[in-house]
Amino acid sequence: MWRFLGQRFLQMVITLFLFQAATYFLIDAQPGDIADLLTLDPNIPPNERERLRAELGLDRPPVERFFKYIGNFYRGDLGVSFQEYPKPVIDIIEERLPRTLVLFLSANLVSFWVGFVSGKILAWRRGGWIEYTSTIAGVTLYTVFLPWFGLMMIWLFAVTLDLFPAGKFLSPINWLTAPVNANYIFIRMTISAFIALLIAFIGTLLSNRLEPRHRLGARLVSFIVPLAGLVYYWQTSEFGALAWDITSHLILPILTLTLYAYAGTMLITRTSMLETLREDFIFTARAKGLPEKVVRDKHAARTALLPVWTGLIFSLPAALGGGIITETIFSWPGIGLAYLQAAVVEDIPVVMGILTIIGILTLISHLIADIGYAFLDPRIRYH
Amino acid sequence: MEKSENVLEVENLTMHYTTRKGPVYAVDNVHFSLARGGSLGLVGESGCGKTSVAISLLKLLPENAEILGGAIRLNGTDVVPITETEMRKFRWKNISMVFQAAMNSLNPVYTVEDQILEAMHQHIPHMSEADMKSRIEGLFELVGLDPSFKDQYPHQYSGGMRQRAVIAMALSCDPDLIIADEPTTALDVIVQDALLKQIKLVQEKVDMAMIYISHDIAVIAEVSERVGVMYAGKMAELASTEAIFHRPIHPYTMGLMSSFPSIAGEKKELVMLPGEPPDLLAPPPGCRFHPRCPYATEICQEEEPEFKDHDSGHFAACWHPGGES
Repeated sequence: MWRFLGQRFLQMVITLFLFQAATYFLIDAQPGDIADLLTLDPNIPPNERERLRAELGLDRPPVERFFKYIGNFYRGDLGVSFQEYPKPVIDIIEERLPRTLVLFLSANLVSFWVGFVSGKILAWRRGGWIEYTSTIAGVTLYTVFLPWFGLMMIWLFAVTLDLFPAGKFLSPINWLTAPVNANYIFIRMTISAFIALLIAFIGTLLSNRLEPRHRLGARLVSFIVPLAGLVYYWQTSEFGALAWDITSHLILPILTLTLYAYAGTMLITRTSMLETLREDFIFTARAKGLPEKVVRDKHAARTALLPVWTGLIFSLPAALGGGIITETIFSWPGIGLAYLQAAVVEDIPVVMGILTIIGILTLISHLIADIGYAFLDPRIRYH
Repeated sequence: MEKSENVLEVENLTMHYTTRKGPVYAVDNVHFSLARGGSLGLVGESGCGKTSVAISLLKLLPENAEILGGAIRLNGTDVVPITETEMRKFRWKNISMVFQAAMNSLNPVYTVEDQILEAMHQHIPHMSEADMKSRIEGLFELVGLDPSFKDQYPHQYSGGMRQRAVIAMALSCDPDLIIADEPTTALDVIVQDALLKQIKLVQEKVDMAMIYISHDIAVIAEVSERVGVMYAGKMAELASTEAIFHRPIHPYTMGLMSSFPSIAGEKKELVMLPGEPPDLLAPPPGCRFHPRCPYATEICQEEEPEFKDHDSGHFAACWHPGGES
């Protein structure tokens, strides 16, 4: 196990280096640089432009700059933004990354859970009109053009029904007299929600060990208690109203992304489950006189989970990278939007910093996928 | 207590599959019984309804199949009219099964022990966990497996070991009857032979009834006391193994016997049965075997022969038993 992790770590470092090199030289290969953009005014003399280039280090050959960047990177220095000089890149990432992670992780987790459960039931009740309509709805959601779908969601929920704000991270009017900044509250919200989720998860795991007739009640309790605790905590907190402001901005993008992503999980689960249901061990399980629910959940769904798990893990980095579209639609000031703004003006350190972070997250999710796979499927062992 | 003499009585069992082209009568008026601790072999060509009989006995039918009539009495209780929930109590507890594709009948993500325990928890809940585990160890020894393998996963077993594990699983709730549906077909001949010997040994030791399904009459001869020969969804002949092999009276059985070479016995020319088994969508009228039968006469084409006792327990459905006219 440790040897495997060590090898994997080495592989990850090498992959990351190759990834960084590819992105760095690709960005550099683009014509023009930020100095051109900042000195577009014809009144600025050309030597001033050269001076700015030298100051930003853009006059050095790309290879030299790249190795300098890598050297700094492993010392924990991601450089400073050209555009918002001299703001360190790490500060931008620190501010923006949690917002993106919360958005996409919650959307992914909810869509995974809902997609898995509904896909499982669809396969189980094959042939009814519920299955047909759900499958058609699933395919529609899966293939829908996301920008259009996002706009439709805004039109429906923010404009017509006026339930949620149309975009942005918060409503500035509520924060005029706020004693702390938004990120402070946002991080506290995230941590409290994570703790509540953890308690609910452990509660569910423990309730599975109870006798069947107590199970449902115990599961409900293990969901309601942490949720009530979370609500109570923020109700009594002095920042309750501010937290609600952020939450109300979160709901619509999460809902949109969940609907968009859940259909894929549902369809994969349905197909995987239908395949598993044809297996001989399902017939054996029935012949053993096990109740249908046990056959469905313990034998079929558990085995059908394997390809779905891969899908989930691969969708995480894709969601981070593809988040640019969503964050633009909802004006969500996350890392995708920061990346887009930086890429347009060739703010190399910010672009590199964000791509590197996405690369690292991708590598980590692949590692988690492999480890999770070994837990889920005993046939897979790493040496 | 007269009824408990027979662990299983099947009376006029009829089951069909609904297909787009019409109903397929895979099991048609099949009639047999099995004494406590006895063994019966079901033999026949592919598609003659052997497996359909097996899944009807467990009432594990696919969606397009339906039992139309007849009775299946397990220890005297007719299980045909009972509900699915009630039937679940019979499965594995009274009647368990070793499947055709036993290689795949273990779930790859659970240990073998877990999968046996699961059945025991379902049917013998009063037994303590420790007792169950020691029972599993005993069963492993009985089927010739090292008990230390019990908490391994199916993929760590070889094909023969998996088959033994499946037999151990079938024995776990101490059923009155085990159906073995071609359990050795997927294995090579050496493993097949060892497994057959083990099955015979186990059956003698635990004293349960067994239905052995195979298309291979040599295998059937080795393990069963009585043999039922099926043809096109019907039972053609049912008699003791000895009678089936030496004194068959149904022309189909006679053809089947002479199409197998004998190593020890006298050298005879192998006779091939002409033709193919009938299409069950449109079976021939009268006796279903008549188009291939060398002794067929007019009556065979018109009227279905009755399945009756010809010689103290030697049943056959034929107008010309033994070829006489």
